[in-house]
Amino acid sequence: MTGGAAPLADPTLVPVMRRAERHGRLLRALRRDRTTVWAGLILALVVAGSLLLPAILPYRYDQQSLDHTFEGPTARHWLGTDQYGRDLLTRLAHGGRISLVVGVVTVLAEILLGGFLGGVAGYAGGMLDEWLMRLTDMMLAFPALLLALLLAAMLGPGATTVVAALALAGWPAMARTVRGEILSLKEREFVVAARAQGASAGRVLLRHLLLNTVHLIVVRATLDIGPIILTEATLSFLGLGVQRPTPSWGVLIADSFQYLQSAPALAVIPCVTLSVTILALNFVGEGAAEAMDPSVRGAP
Amino acid sequence: MIRFAARRLGFMLVILVISSVIVFVVGRLAPGDPVQLLMGDLRDPVVEARVRHDLGLDRPLWAQYLRFAGHALGGDLGQSYANPGRSVNRMVAEALPATARLAAVTVALAILLGVPLGVISAVGRASATDLLARLVALGGMSLPSFVAAVLLIRWLALGWHVVPVSGWGEPRHYVLPVLVLLVQPLAYITRVTRAGVLRVLPEDYVRTAHSKGLSPWRILSRHVLPNAAISIITIAGLAFSYALTGAFVVETIFRIPGLGQAAIGALFLRDYPMVQAVSLLYAAIFIGTNFLVDLGYAFIDPRIRYR
Repeated sequence: MTGGAAPLADPTLVPVMRRAERHGRLLRALRRDRTTVWAGLILALVVAGSLLLPAILPYRYDQQSLDHTFEGPTARHWLGTDQYGRDLLTRLAHGGRISLVVGVVTVLAEILLGGFLGGVAGYAGGMLDEWLMRLTDMMLAFPALLLALLLAAMLGPGATTVVAALALAGWPAMARTVRGEILSLKEREFVVAARAQGASAGRVLLRHLLLNTVHLIVVRATLDIGPIILTEATLSFLGLGVQRPTPSWGVLIADSFQYLQSAPALAVIPCVTLSVTILALNFVGEGAAEAMDPSVRGAP
Repeated sequence: MIRFAARRLGFMLVILVISSVIVFVVGRLAPGDPVQLLMGDLRDPVVEARVRHDLGLDRPLWAQYLRFAGHALGGDLGQSYANPGRSVNRMVAEALPATARLAAVTVALAILLGVPLGVISAVGRASATDLLARLVALGGMSLPSFVAAVLLIRWLALGWHVVPVSGWGEPRHYVLPVLVLLVQPLAYITRVTRAGVLRVLPEDYVRTAHSKGLSPWRILSRHVLPNAAISIITIAGLAFSYALTGAFVVETIFRIPGLGQAAIGALFLRDYPMVQAVSLLYAAIFIGTNFLVDLGYAFIDPRIRYR
């Protein structure tokens, strides 16, 4: 966003160039930032494991084997078995799938809701903007966990309720990010030019304004996924999220909690997997945010 | 200042009313008939109609809301469905102190530890201490509270027998719950303090203070921290909210008779008056905290009042 370039004849060229320039800077910055790269690798490993392992491993996540309960790591069960003789690695991988699906679906809902409302608020301005921002103020003051509890009371607990609650809690931050950027973008020459050429409001908003906030939306989404997965796990741990027998990470930890003294690995392994995944997500999000905003980095 | 406070107060009341509508609707739309919950399956139709009338459930929804809001304003949150004959007021009053004490201790510790850690981290930027502080911050944000609980119980309680696993009433029972609750607020306060101080350090007035020959301690306490205070106050307010919602998890794990455990128990028993009461109380606390934080801004930074 190094402003000051003279407006070109074709108004759509300017934002396109700027976007390419930004992507180049993002990649260069990421190359410098080794922590982010390592976090990205760990994340890729978790994603690959969650997607591939259930297909490779010969067990179902609910396949019990009561002769083989509480087994330590063996050649047949790499991470051992739980209190019903179910394979821990299989259950862990399925849990990863659920966390990732909940995270991605929630973030997509957040982008649709927050991107649209933020875009409209920023572009339209006036009373609509005022009231939408008041609404986000209110929503931001409300903790996601409490909202999820209320929704669980109303709709009954389950993965869908979790996604709905987290998306409801998450869109205001997205809307504010998008609105802020659009407020400054809509005064720029290429938008004025597009309007002067007779582009409709919808086209200006979608093609010229929202497309130019994609980089911010991506960063915001990356930053949000970690906390979303964390809250999902917390709700499932409390029994208000994903329901048994589906093995989400929160459920795995809740169920092995009572064996903490006799079989600690059963609780500790899912705990470490969950924490490392969220840590990696947070590092990647931070890295992306810093790369987008070099002022955070500073010179010395 | 008074006009600013009045406007904020008005806004706060509007939000509180909206929250109460949401909480009321959730309680009414939730599956299950309150009268059936109260009376069980074997019930006399005449008595049932009488109870329904007494509870006001035969009236239109808006009238029910006005009744609910009126009673709530008068400080009466209704009768528990799950424990017939007990008022929700009593149940809340019994559970509130444990949660409030835990939250207060947690927030106090988070501020006392987090602000110095953030300052040290910012001043010695890119040093080993800074790396450590950033790791504490990002690690703390990534560690779910129940994971922290599992690890702490495994080693501190079961492994080394330093503290009891659970129990309530003695000071040593606070150790594990407070440690678990502390993880996230500490992380956020450290992080925000670091960012705030980093933003102020390159300012001209800090350089001027240096060149006047002021001691580093004085520069920090008089020039840097007051200017970084806004973001620290915001996050301290949020930390209080975190500690209160964290109570849901921590009280469940450590079997502490507080609001969080009471709310989760009520949720599973479909005791909606109790769920409504706790949600409303929480909403009021969050909104009130936000209001205090806003007043804090205006108190610290006079520029905000005139906006």
